[in-house]
Amino acid sequence: MLKIFESIITTPAITLGIVALLGLILQKKGASDVVKGTLKTILGILILSGGAGIIVTNLSPFAEMFTKAFNLTGVVPFDEAVIGALIEKVAVIARTTSLIMAFGFAINLLLARITPFKYIFLTGHMMWILAGSLAWAFYDLQVTEMNTVIYGSILQGITMVLLPALAQPIMRKITGNDTIAYGHLTTTGVVAGAYVGKLFGNPEQSSEDMKLPAGLDFFKDTAVSVSLVMVLIYVITAVFAGKEYVETLSNGQNYIAFSVLNGLGFAAGVLVLLQGVRMFLGEIVPAFRGIALKLVPGAKPALDCPVVFGYAPTALMLGFIFSVIGMVVGMIASTMFGTIVPLPSIIGGFFTGGTAGIFGNAVGGRRGSMVSGFVYGLVLTIPVALFYPLFGLQSYGIEGIALLCPDALLVLSLVKLFFSLNIPAVGLGALILILIILSIKFRAPKEVVNQ
Amino acid sequence: MTIITVCGMGFGTSLMLKMTIDDILAENKIKAEVSAWDLGSVKGRHADLFVASEDMKSNLTDIGANIIFIKNLTDTEEVRGKILKAVKQLQ
Repeated sequence: MLKIFESIITTPAITLGIVALLGLILQKKGASDVVKGTLKTILGILILSGGAGIIVTNLSPFAEMFTKAFNLTGVVPFDEAVIGALIEKVAVIARTTSLIMAFGFAINLLLARITPFKYIFLTGHMMWILAGSLAWAFYDLQVTEMNTVIYGSILQGITMVLLPALAQPIMRKITGNDTIAYGHLTTTGVVAGAYVGKLFGNPEQSSEDMKLPAGLDFFKDTAVSVSLVMVLIYVITAVFAGKEYVETLSNGQNYIAFSVLNGLGFAAGVLVLLQGVRMFLGEIVPAFRGIALKLVPGAKPALDCPVVFGYAPTALMLGFIFSVIGMVVGMIASTMFGTIVPLPSIIGGFFTGGTAGIFGNAVGGRRGSMVSGFVYGLVLTIPVALFYPLFGLQSYGIEGIALLCPDALLVLSLVKLFFSLNIPAVGLGALILILIILSIKFRAPKEVVNQ
Repeated sequence: MTIITVCGMGFGTSLMLKMTIDDILAENKIKAEVSAWDLGSVKGRHADLFVASEDMKSNLTDIGANIIFIKNLTDTEEVRGKILKAVKQLQ
């Protein structure tokens, strides 16, 4: 009996369901809300894993075709799918991800309370991706579960508080106030892009004073953009791989039909996965937020990238277009590294490349947004290729996808670095020390002196 | 009464909007079922009121029902004003 109980409890869907349950109870929600919220969290995670499975199935033929066609491994950079697949395949990673997410959030609250960095990271899928990345990294380094959760949560909490702080000077310029922050794992990328853009640009010439076509609007619909791009990439690759080879993969089905169907199948998997993410986050984020508001006065929410879109829609499109150009250049450059070839991520290009454009415009005007977008496109491809061999994905049976978010790559690379040098504790100690130093440096000017 | 918030992905902006609206309704003791959806799934849905950010306007022209657009998602005053006005009209 106890065994059954234990195996249910250690399933990620249930673990996060319990977190939602606690969050709802703490907010004194009625019984029906508690039941609804908890169930939807659990269901959301199950749906999400289902979507991850569909994606991986539809992508394997592509991976093989690409290798045959170009003698290289082309991969689709797509964080949600990577984490979803890892969680589905490795129970330990599934468990530690949930725990890191929950404890990491608690540490975020604690740090927001005691340091001058009063940011509460509220972008659910990003929290999940970082937690999953950390869980994966420590699992791959063969760290014990207990230590994974401890190290992981501390890293998660510190990252969640420092990233928004990094972006805030530019966010203040974009929004004209200090009430909201940027909560995304592309912070280092968009900030770096913006500052490079600043070197070439003129903040007086805002992109918002320009006119651009609205025809690119449909990219906002994920179903459409993913389908179109994936089918295109699939078909082009199939043509290069050759009809004969592809038909060995498709069991005789016509090679173009096969490619189109798999490309669409990939998009279908993406939609299922996103539906699951939507359902689960729809419960977890309000649960977290409720807890946060009660505990951290003066807190600033660190939010998902679309919150800035309204401030500079033209910069958004410029950033998008130029980041796609940057990604193509980066993709070609990556062929020289001999690892993998990261394909341009159109969704990433729109949402986060667009954000890079907005950040760039804030400090460098229209030229700034274009340069920022381009630099960011390079950031979305070259580091992905360089990072891929650091931690295994193929060893887990995951082909064809790669981790993308610049901040996650950075954190994981640092983890790998310190573990390789056999001084992980030193690394962690150094990080905490840096946090303390930064806190002292940026402390609020008014120091209340006890009378 | 049902209210649906809409955005591109369904768990970023629309979720924040949903939480802001939940707070405003709770403050004013108005009961409503608020949920967050993405552009793709929202087409077939029915609700008394839809809320989205101004830059979604062109994607939501055929939604039919009552819809309000918010210029500045983080301006609680704007959201409060528009929501309360729309809700009072529906009651």
